[in-house]
Amino acid sequence: MAGFLQQVVVGLGAGAIYASLALALVLIYQFTGIVNFAQGELAMFSTYIAWQCVAAGLPFWLALVITLVVSFAGGMLIERVIIRPVEGAPELTLVIVTVGLFVFVNAAAGWIWTFLIKDFPNPFPDGALSAAGVSVSFSTLGVLAVVALVMGLLYVLFQYTRIGLGMRAVASNPESARLVGIRVGRTLALGWGLAATVGAVSGVLVAPLLFLEPNMMGGVLIYAFAAATLGGFDSPLGAVVGGLIVGVAETLAGAYVDVIGSDLKVGVPLAIILGVLLFRPQGLFGRAVVERS
Amino acid sequence: MSSAITSVKTSVKTLAATVPAARWRWLAVAALLAAACYAPFQLAPFHVFQLTMVLVYAVALLGLDLLVGHAGQISLGHGAFFAVGAYATAIMLDRLALPYPLTLPLAAGTAFVLGLAFGVPAVRLRGLYLALVTLAVAIFLGPLLKRFEAVTGGSMGLTLAKPQPPAWSGLAEDQWLYLLTLVVAVAAFLVAGSLLRSRAGRALHAVRDDEVAAEVMGVRLSSYKTLAFAWSAMFAGVAGCLYTWVIGFVSPDSFTVNLSITLLAGLVVGGLGSMSGPVLGALFVMFVPGIAQDINDAAPGVIFGLLIIAVMYVAPTGLAGLAGRLVKKVPRKE
Amino acid sequence: MTLIVEDLVAGYGDARVLHGVRLTVGDGEICAILGPNGAGKTTLLRALSGMVKVRGRIALDGAELAGRPPDALARQGVAHVPEGRGTFMPLTVEENLRLGAYVRRDRASVEEDLERVHTYFPVLRTRLKQAAGSLSGGEQQMLAIGRALMLRPRLLLLDEPSLGLAPLVTRELFRIVQAVNAEERTTVVVVEQNAHLALGIAQQAHVLETGRIVLSGTAERIRADEQVAQSYLGYRV
Repeated sequence: MAGFLQQVVVGLGAGAIYASLALALVLIYQFTGIVNFAQGELAMFSTYIAWQCVAAGLPFWLALVITLVVSFAGGMLIERVIIRPVEGAPELTLVIVTVGLFVFVNAAAGWIWTFLIKDFPNPFPDGALSAAGVSVSFSTLGVLAVVALVMGLLYVLFQYTRIGLGMRAVASNPESARLVGIRVGRTLALGWGLAATVGAVSGVLVAPLLFLEPNMMGGVLIYAFAAATLGGFDSPLGAVVGGLIVGVAETLAGAYVDVIGSDLKVGVPLAIILGVLLFRPQGLFGRAVVERS
Repeated sequence: MSSAITSVKTSVKTLAATVPAARWRWLAVAALLAAACYAPFQLAPFHVFQLTMVLVYAVALLGLDLLVGHAGQISLGHGAFFAVGAYATAIMLDRLALPYPLTLPLAAGTAFVLGLAFGVPAVRLRGLYLALVTLAVAIFLGPLLKRFEAVTGGSMGLTLAKPQPPAWSGLAEDQWLYLLTLVVAVAAFLVAGSLLRSRAGRALHAVRDDEVAAEVMGVRLSSYKTLAFAWSAMFAGVAGCLYTWVIGFVSPDSFTVNLSITLLAGLVVGGLGSMSGPVLGALFVMFVPGIAQDINDAAPGVIFGLLIIAVMYVAPTGLAGLAGRLVKKVPRKE
Repeated sequence: MTLIVEDLVAGYGDARVLHGVRLTVGDGEICAILGPNGAGKTTLLRALSGMVKVRGRIALDGAELAGRPPDALARQGVAHVPEGRGTFMPLTVEENLRLGAYVRRDRASVEEDLERVHTYFPVLRTRLKQAAGSLSGGEQQMLAIGRALMLRPRLLLLDEPSLGLAPLVTRELFRIVQAVNAEERTTVVVVEQNAHLALGIAQQAHVLETGRIVLSGTAERIRADEQVAQSYLGYRV
């Protein structure tokens, strides 16, 4: 039993990271209907910025703040420069453009920082809390706390601020939002900025667990997709719940299903994506898509 | 100087006036084919090998184009079907010791059946989600190949003898492989061409341009979309088979997600929905990374990424579309 | 607020829908735009609120509005209740109403206006915390008009408020529009299929056909014109 609980804890730790990247995906999807295939790469790029700051001698938390600010600005810039010209284009075009962005950002990071792996400092102390035979590392607790904090901040932003209300209005009905005087273009850029910031958090959380290298987020992205699909692409809460479920499912499958083992774990998100899309396409928390007349 | 240009222009004009546009295209294709047959006897083996790979990629892109350019479906995992063809061939050669000509139809068939099986659930997915699923499949394939080591050779992969030229031909190995590939590639383009001109091809275009309208007109959406998947997978499988013949080695690392993304990139740059797009895209995939790599290891990615985005902005029809526009402009100046 | 429209040309892409519309709506007047389907009535409203590209002149009390984006026009006090009501479905009724006042900075009077909208539409008060998407069609139309009023509009544009509503509800809605107009002196342009209702509250009316105004006059005169009644309004007097 303790062994099982231990696996669940490990799964939650991984799931929290998937959740944070899924949250970034959902933020963009809500506003623009775009699934940003480059989200993981943007997070990886942000992580390099943090690494660079730390390498330059800045304390970790200051480096983090700088990274988040730069990521926010970068996300807005990308929306303005790369996404705006194809706004409203067919889905195929949008997917291809974000795939192009994926390839570009990945290679650009390799160009700037080389493809050699780098050690990334872990902001959380070593050690673990133990109770009833289950130990939870401070690292896992830290990750869970950060994701909870991000979720909480987003909740406050969306529910209790004027900008947040405007953003939700744009997500729900852009044309009507324009009519009540919301600058929709600015709001979309804001959405991308927010998503890039949240993504940066997930990158910084992942990097100490893996190694920092340009392909670091490739593996995480597919889990984040599974999380967002499971939770519903239009539900931030769903992304978080979905992330945790995917993390736990993956860990348990790896530990207890012999056919899967540790090397086929990446089949779990595939199975989840396929299953959800075929049987409940809107996800657990998503709204069923209704054609607007 | 300028008078020379003018005279060239006039002669082009007179030529253009005497020969109808459609015949121009056939002339160009014939000239290209003649050059393609002549090339292996003039070039160094390494360049012959490069051209062979261009043909291999062209067949793969042709398959991807059926799906993306002609049926309007998104696949970020086409490398997986390519890998299926390659591995099926390798396993048939290595474990079953089949003669190599047999492996081509069998690899094509395997990929076709898998494409069909995959196409059944895929047709229920809206474009975006299809992209997600195909990407997940491409990511899953590597670990899967490594896992079933007994058949696939695991992460070490399989090394195979390449098809040897028959003694009577007097050809070198690289020339033989090139000509084999050329024949298969030409056949593939002919088959794809007639597929697209058939009823099914027109139905695909209708689906791409307007799903609802196509359905109203009586196109059975699901069956055509599934078929598009199967054909597309079949061409990718054929390309994979050729790949195994030419390279003589398969391993999971040859077929990562990168391959799938490179294929899509090549197709987009080459041009969606045309016959010359896959060829131009294949040339691009083969040569641009090599040239760019001299600048920096990351340069091919930077160039690919920027080009993909740029093409979607300024020339959604890719290089083929640009070339087409230039060609059309000449006779129009009459 | 006097609205003056001159030589207004508008359309979508290459397809031109309005071919030189000219009309004037006096301060505090209600103006009805009538005409058959496809005449360009909705496009006219969309042009007035900046939702389509236009050429020509649109002036509201001397301020030039043509060519400005919708969010800028909202700041100028143009409130547009669009076809289909433009409800923010997943948001609550209260959030929908507050969005109507999005561009306003005077918090205290926004609260007053919220209260005022509740007086006009008591049913909304009981549903404040409910998702707007769960309202009935008539309630959503009330919400849409309430949302527009939250702007304290100088110009109120109503597109087919009666669409899909029961006759009784429609009648009630028009009564409220008339009351708002009387109390706040808001200039109103209303596009309506139900000519009888629209002419009942309007001072003046224009009949639009294939992108041109073919007939203008006071509401009584238009109503009395038998030929118009037959060809455009779809009923006999």
